[in-house]
Amino acid sequence: MIEVKSLRFSYPSSPAPALDGVSLRIPKGALYGLLGPNGSGKTTFLSLLSGILPPPPGAIAVDGQDLSAHLRQIQARSALVPQELAFYPRMSVQENLEFFAGARGYSGEDARSRVDEALRLAALAPNRGQRAEHCSGGLKRRLNIAIGLLNRPSLLLLDEPTVGIDPQSRNFILQGVRDIHAAGTTVIYTSHYMEEVQALCDTVAVLDHGRVLAEGPLDSLLGDAALDGGDRARGLEQLFLTLTRSDLRD
Amino acid sequence: MPTAFILIMSLAMRGLFASHGRVAVSWALLDQDRSGASAELAGRLARRPDFRRAAASADPAALQQLVRSGGVQFLVTIPSGFGRAMRTARPLALGLAAAPDVEPVLVRLFDACLREDTAKVYLGGAMQELAAGLGDPSAVKGLRLENIDVLVAGPATAGAAAGPSPSAVQQNVPAWLIFAMFFIAIPLSNTWVQERSQGTYGRLLSLGLPRWKLLLGKLLPYLAVNLAQAALMLAVGVWLVPRLGGDALDLGRSPWALALMVLAVSFAAVSYALLIANLARSSEQASLFTGVSNLLLAVLGGVMVPRFVMPAALQAAGNLSPMAWGLDGFLDVFLRQGGLAQVAPRAGLLAAFGCLSLALAARVFTRHQRG
Repeated sequence: MIEVKSLRFSYPSSPAPALDGVSLRIPKGALYGLLGPNGSGKTTFLSLLSGILPPPPGAIAVDGQDLSAHLRQIQARSALVPQELAFYPRMSVQENLEFFAGARGYSGEDARSRVDEALRLAALAPNRGQRAEHCSGGLKRRLNIAIGLLNRPSLLLLDEPTVGIDPQSRNFILQGVRDIHAAGTTVIYTSHYMEEVQALCDTVAVLDHGRVLAEGPLDSLLGDAALDGGDRARGLEQLFLTLTRSDLRD
Repeated sequence: MPTAFILIMSLAMRGLFASHGRVAVSWALLDQDRSGASAELAGRLARRPDFRRAAASADPAALQQLVRSGGVQFLVTIPSGFGRAMRTARPLALGLAAAPDVEPVLVRLFDACLREDTAKVYLGGAMQELAAGLGDPSAVKGLRLENIDVLVAGPATAGAAAGPSPSAVQQNVPAWLIFAMFFIAIPLSNTWVQERSQGTYGRLLSLGLPRWKLLLGKLLPYLAVNLAQAALMLAVGVWLVPRLGGDALDLGRSPWALALMVLAVSFAAVSYALLIANLARSSEQASLFTGVSNLLLAVLGGVMVPRFVMPAALQAAGNLSPMAWGLDGFLDVFLRQGGLAQVAPRAGLLAAFGCLSLALAARVFTRHQRG
């Protein structure tokens, strides 16, 4: 269970708060969709949850532990897959996995088995010797995710993991996320692709301007939208545009 | 690249720093006097080991054209009646003309030599007149013109004993070694900016790695690269330059002092590179700032031009350049046979500069991550 209470965060370079009193309850084992337009605060939220940004004391609890006080322990059992392709392009697929396994503190046989497992889960074994910069967009995305699986996380934070890839790779990744979730991992998933979130997630929150505009089980939120005459097939997108309005943000 | 650069510069500037070799000065004489005094003066100038007398000519216009065109560097004109009027109330002045491209310092040097030789001719004649006037040559036997050479040889010999001045290789190897070490900021900052923008550092922070470990993770390998580069460049100075006709680099007497200086310069350079890498918002900004700041530090620090030829104000400003501390430390080892005690203050300054740069880099890195 992740419990977020009145979370506020401002960047020193910006007068407006990136997160302005966010409160959420994410059940253990959930596949939780976090939606919002660009600049809504999604990535800031994940950065605080992963410890890239310093979490304010008392604002976030993971499995009953205050995140700011137990950051290292929580980081050891969680993983962030950032939106960027955050690995070393001049290293091979396997070298990248070995490097990040080492950075996690794994060595020897333990590291080797974790690397092999990540290669298998992401179907990267045939490409293990390929330099990362020479991989296709889909392979790079899978490597980005595979690095996040090295510590067999109980909490996985996926920040737009399917940007810029073909339908086959996207389908593979979405199925992988379902499998990881089915194995008991809590997954927080952000995406701009509404159909992905609709197909994957059981619970959804919509963020904008650093505030939670709506949160709850997906069926319940879509049911409310249907009462307003929304199309079920485009329900989440309709709901999203209704909540966040359709004006451009970039 | 830096190794090839050192090799070329050491060979190209061999003549400029050749203290043990000869200063090639060419001169011509227009002797309009043709007296014993003018012949003696010409003979004294001709016997100077660094002076080379050009082919004689009696045509003043031809000789003046020769010096104007740079065919010779100096033209000495002994006017008619010079010897006869030397010890009268109305002596005649010698003429000295220099080619347009002769450096002022060389003009002063030649002028001083001419004055010295003229004074000896004057004194030689005066002593003869004195002895003749007294009617007793033994009364002036203690007055020996040759003694002047012995007397003035003292300070020059003492200066030489204090240590040789830098040869091209002694000046160039440490100077360009330091320059190359500081230029490691370009690859380092580009890599850093790239890894930061592609989220690699964010990911590493999310694994629980502290920021100081990320900085150390870049500091140590680049330090190793710099040390390897230093070893290669010193090897070029010691073994390759002499094989190609240049002077061999003398590494001094204290390998520990040399190792300390290499380590101190390398640490200062990599830490400074990390500071630039963290300050820069893009690779282009990092490359530009590194290039400009390194050139300024190099010019002030005596890498491009030895500091002893700079005006006093620039020399004082150069004391603020870490490249100057490094260069002075290396020259302490190479030229002044300095040991650990001699180089420790400069190594300490470089270490302090490195620590300060590193602390600032860590501070900027933290601020960057927090937006």
